Amino acid sequence: MASKDLDSTDRLEQLREGEHHGPDSGIKRWLFTTNHKDIGTLYLVFSLLMFFIGGAMAMVIRAELFQPGLQLVEPDFFNQMTTMHALVMIFGAVMPAFVGLANWMIPLMIGAPDMALPRLNNWSFWILPFAFTLLLSTLFLPGGAPAAGWTMYPPLVLQTGNAFPFMIFAIHLMGASSIMGSINIIVTILNLRAPGMTLLKMPLFVWSWLITAYLLIAVMPVLAGAVTMLLTDHYFNTSFFRAAGGGDPVMFQHIFWFFGHPEVYIMILPAFGIISHVIPTFARKPLFGYAAMVYATASIAFLSFIVWSHHMFTVGMPLAGNLFFMFATMLIAVPTGVKVFNWVATMWRGAMTFETPMLFALAFLFLFTIGGFSGLMLAIVPADFQYHDTYFVVAHFHYVLVPGAIFGIMAGVYYWMPKWTGNMYNETLGKLHFWLSAIFVNVLFFPQHFLGLAGMPRRIADYATQFADFNMVSSVGAFAFGASQLIFLYLIYDCVRGGRKATAKVWDRPTGLEWSVPSPAPYHTFETPPDVTYVDTAHGSHGAYH
Amino acid sequence: MARMAPTIDRERRARVRRTAILCAAVVIAFYLGFILMGVLRA
Repeated sequence: MASKDLDSTDRLEQLREGEHHGPDSGIKRWLFTTNHKDIGTLYLVFSLLMFFIGGAMAMVIRAELFQPGLQLVEPDFFNQMTTMHALVMIFGAVMPAFVGLANWMIPLMIGAPDMALPRLNNWSFWILPFAFTLLLSTLFLPGGAPAAGWTMYPPLVLQTGNAFPFMIFAIHLMGASSIMGSINIIVTILNLRAPGMTLLKMPLFVWSWLITAYLLIAVMPVLAGAVTMLLTDHYFNTSFFRAAGGGDPVMFQHIFWFFGHPEVYIMILPAFGIISHVIPTFARKPLFGYAAMVYATASIAFLSFIVWSHHMFTVGMPLAGNLFFMFATMLIAVPTGVKVFNWVATMWRGAMTFETPMLFALAFLFLFTIGGFSGLMLAIVPADFQYHDTYFVVAHFHYVLVPGAIFGIMAGVYYWMPKWTGNMYNETLGKLHFWLSAIFVNVLFFPQHFLGLAGMPRRIADYATQFADFNMVSSVGAFAFGASQLIFLYLIYDCVRGGRKATAKVWDRPTGLEWSVPSPAPYHTFETPPDVTYVDTAHGSHGAYH
Repeated sequence: MARMAPTIDRERRARVRRTAILCAAVVIAFYLGFILMGVLRA
C-alpha cells in the first residue's frame, strides 16, 4: 500500500518510532519483540527444547519396556511418563514447531510486512513457557505428574492428585496460545496479502495453515470446555461426567475426540503444505494439481469433524453409529490419496536431486502412507475390536506423527534454515541425520505393529514374555533414533554460527516470494508490498517480482 | 520497540479488527456451546 494512503496519525506514529530500526539488544529483544521472525525463532527454539524433554520421557518408557518385568521405574511413574510424553510432544513440540514455521514463513510468502496482530503474537508465544513450567512442575509434586493418559478420560483422571489443577490450567493456557496464534494467522492471510495474490495463488503452506487455523479455532475451545467440566466435576461437585451423580463418562470421550480427531489433522496438514514446497523444488517441476491439493486439504479438514467416534468403537455405540463413523473415516483416504498421487506425479520425470529436505520429504511420503494404511485398518469396526488399545494403535499414530509430522517439520527446517540464518547447513551431517532417523524410526515403530496384532496392550509397564523380542528391537530403535537427533541439534548450532553463505534463492530455482529477499531475511521485509499480479507464485513460474 | 506493520492503512486495520472479532466469536461460541451441551445432558 502506498504511503499516500496513510492518514496523518499513522505517519506521525511511524516517524516517532523510526522507519528503519533493528531489533532491541539483549533479552529485551526476545521478551518484547513483535517481529514475526523473532517470534518464529522463539517458537522453533521452544519446540526443539520440548522435543528433547518429550524425547527423554520416551527413552524412559522404552528403557523400562526393553525387557519384561519391572526394572527401572514404578508403574505409576511409567504412566506419568506416557501421559507427559504425549502432552509435551503434541502441545509443546509439534504444534509450536508448526506455529514457528508459520510465523517465519507466512508473511514472507504472502508479501506481508509482519503478522496482522504483532502484540497478540508476542503474547501467544510467551504464554507457552508458563504453561509448560506449570505442567512439568507436577513431576516434583507429591503424587507426581498426571498419569491417566493424555486423553484424560474420567473417572480415572478424577483420581489425579495435586497435579490435577496444574494440568487443567496448563491445558487452558496452551489452548489460549493456540487460539490466539490461529486468529493471528487467519487475520494475516485474509487481510495482508500482497496486491495480486489471490487466494488461489497462495503457496500451499499458506493454504494448509489457513485451513489448520480454522480447525484450531473450532476445536481448541471444545477441549477447553471439556477440561473446564472436568475441573468443576473435581472441585465443585458437578456431575458432567460422574456416573454416580447422573453424569455420563462416555460424553467426555465424545467431546474429547470431537477435539482430538481434528487435532490429528492440525498436526499433519501444515506438514502436507511443507512437502508441497519441497518436492517441486527438488524435482524442478511445478506442483502437479495445485487446485486439487487445496480442495483435498479442505476436504480432509471437513471430514475430520465427522469421524471422531472411530476412537470409541468399543464403547458400545449403536451399529448404525459404528457404520457411519467407519465409512466416514474410510472416505478420508480419498483426498489423502489425491495428495499422495499429486506429490508422486510432481516427481514424475522431474530432474530430481536428493538434498536433505528432499530426503525427509520422500521418507515422509513413504512412511506417512504406512501410517495412513494402518489407520484404514483401524477404521474397520470388527477389526478395531481386536486392535483397540493395543500396540498396533501406538505404531499407527507414531507412524503418522514421527515420520509424518516431525519429518515434515525437519524437511521444512532444512529447506528454510539457509533463508533464516544466511548460512548453508552441513549437508553431510544433514544426510547422516536423515539416514539414521529414517532407519531407526522403522526399527522403533514397525515391530510395534506385530506386538499389537499379537495382543500387547498399550500403556503398560510390564508385559508377557511372549512380547520380549519385538520390545527389545523397538527399544534399540528408540535409543538410536533419540541419539541421532543430537546430530540435528549440533547441525543447527553449526549453521547458526557460520558456514558457507547462502544466496537469496538458496536452491536451484525455488518458487515463492520468500526467495526474493536476501539470505538471511532482513529484520523487516515487504514494508512496501510486492506486486505479484503477473507472478504465478503458486504454480511455479519463475518470473521477476515487481 | 518494534511496531505494527508500517504500511497498513486505516481501512485495512478495520478489516483486521473485524476478522479477529469474528474468529474470537467463533471461539467463544464453541467453548460455551459445548459446556451448555454438557449442562443440558447432565
